[in-house]
Amino acid sequence: MENELRNAIRELLEKQEIDVAIGYGRVGVDGAVGAVFVTSPDDVEQIVWNDECRQNLAVHLTRPEVKAFGKIGIVVKPCDARAVVVLANEAQVDLDLLTIIGVVCSGIKRAKPDGTTADEYYAKCETCVQHTPQNVTLVVGDVAEGEALDAKNEQNAATAGNNAKLAKLRAMTVEERFAYWREQFSRCVRCYACRQSCPMCYCNRCVADKNRPTRIDTSASLKGNFAWNILRAFHLAGRCVGCGACASACPAGIELDLLNLTVSDAAKEHFGFVAGTEFGVDPLIGTYADDDKEEFIR
Amino acid sequence: MSQIVTLEQLKQTLGAKLAAGAKVVAPVLDGEFASFKEIADVEQASFVPRICMQNSIEEFFFPKHETIFTFVRQGNDVVLNDAPDFDVEQIVVGARPCDAAALPVLDPLFAWDYDDRFYQRRRAKSTVVSFACTQSDAHCFCTAVGGSPENTHGADAILFDLGDGSFEVRAITDKGKALFDGKTTESDKVGKACDAPVVNFDVWKIADWIRANFDSPVWEQVSLRCVGCGTCAYVCPTCHCFDIVDEGSYKKGKRVKNWDSCQDAMFTMHASGHNPRDTQGKRQRQRLTHKFVIYPDKFKFYLCTGCGSCSRSCAQMFGVRPCLEALDKEVQ
Repeated sequence: MENELRNAIRELLEKQEIDVAIGYGRVGVDGAVGAVFVTSPDDVEQIVWNDECRQNLAVHLTRPEVKAFGKIGIVVKPCDARAVVVLANEAQVDLDLLTIIGVVCSGIKRAKPDGTTADEYYAKCETCVQHTPQNVTLVVGDVAEGEALDAKNEQNAATAGNNAKLAKLRAMTVEERFAYWREQFSRCVRCYACRQSCPMCYCNRCVADKNRPTRIDTSASLKGNFAWNILRAFHLAGRCVGCGACASACPAGIELDLLNLTVSDAAKEHFGFVAGTEFGVDPLIGTYADDDKEEFIR
Repeated sequence: MSQIVTLEQLKQTLGAKLAAGAKVVAPVLDGEFASFKEIADVEQASFVPRICMQNSIEEFFFPKHETIFTFVRQGNDVVLNDAPDFDVEQIVVGARPCDAAALPVLDPLFAWDYDDRFYQRRRAKSTVVSFACTQSDAHCFCTAVGGSPENTHGADAILFDLGDGSFEVRAITDKGKALFDGKTTESDKVGKACDAPVVNFDVWKIADWIRANFDSPVWEQVSLRCVGCGTCAYVCPTCHCFDIVDEGSYKKGKRVKNWDSCQDAMFTMHASGHNPRDTQGKRQRQRLTHKFVIYPDKFKFYLCTGCGSCSRSCAQMFGVRPCLEALDKEVQ
């Protein structure tokens, strides 16, 4: 499958359908997998595909230095493909300049704190049923037998990742849950790695950086930490695709994916909205419908 | 002959310090994460030499968030109150040699154009006990910046794990001697650290390349995968940039010092809207130049102890070592 992917990218580069391919390569310490930016057909051997391809490469699509390449080909896993859809629906990427290369994925192994690969899949992958990327220009790889599901079911299950942990969190009393997040947020150092790693956090100036006046305390104190993390979760309502890049990036090991998935699930529960399943859908937060229910505010 | 202390004796020593009101910082294990934390009970700590830590000991000398003074409006006046001085004894135990080595690197900075009493008080009140390394990994590169698995720079005492529930104690300073005075027994066992990590690049040569190649396109190329999350700076034992802000209302509030990172685009944003470091390549260049050119030019130390925490924590698999290795290809 790795060769199939390299061949597809080589062809795109040779035909000049793309100026750069953003894929995965062995770029880190001891060959750890991270993003590579390939501009020449001669360099496609740098590209790899395996169960260590953790990053959501969609985060690069809105960066000025990446946009400067011109026509971009991007390698996406099924969950990451949904992030590209959200970015397109929010007018952050020009689909005419984008070739979305979806790879069939049967799960990614999580990284241990020392950066090495653990012998276990991410929680989101354990419960994932979406192995074939949707809404992509081309698909590389075949779904293993027994794993194929129709697209509709896959969309419905799209926020299923992490549900076991979420269910545990929801079973807590309000006090227990508050204590849980209090402990988690007490570790936050306010580096904003979550924001920088998130494809959806593309604002030129984040509300956390506004200082005339200051909107939220910038201190890594409990007050500021609660304000920041809750504010970011709210901004991700109906937008988070559950890729888990925030949790992977967090140096303090805060389970941010659980927080953001909670809000995603609320969008699904109250509005039947799942982010990134279809092009041309208006953002949940940016639209109003006559039949919107209001009970959730009360 | 060597001096040894058993794990029980070490715990008793620290327990006595806790009972006397001292603050004790030690590695605490939480699942698979190990981090330096203030402990209330010695049983909370994990006295096993580790190289992978979620934080460094720096925050116990230069906290991630610290109040400078508080202010309150009283009638037409504003009353300022200085934050109280750090006034307890602090024992930091279990530091990695590369953590301890960061302190002498930071000392001249916090006593340069301004005597930073916050840092200096904590430093004067603290005793640092490090663990000699028992292993290194592919992220470690202390050997490239003058360190080693048994480096004693910045430590008041260093402990070598003897693998039998005891440690060889080598007191380095008077503070270290005082902490273990009467607590050790003589032995013929001698501790040994692991082999030094192998490094195939020369930081001195890379620093020369950095000096000569400010405008090189290589900076943008090597930094493309960096998303500017700044985790590298927040886990770094030597990174020390901070921001000063006022918090509260006009009636009552405080002026605070918070950690900051040069990897954040806002770090250099001018009020005019102009940003001299508007791409990740320029920000990465700043980080490396500060660590390997600017700081050693000014203070004679690299602003890096080779601990590898940056690359271990980086979700994009970047960090100082991968960056140095990429630059090394340009040197050759």
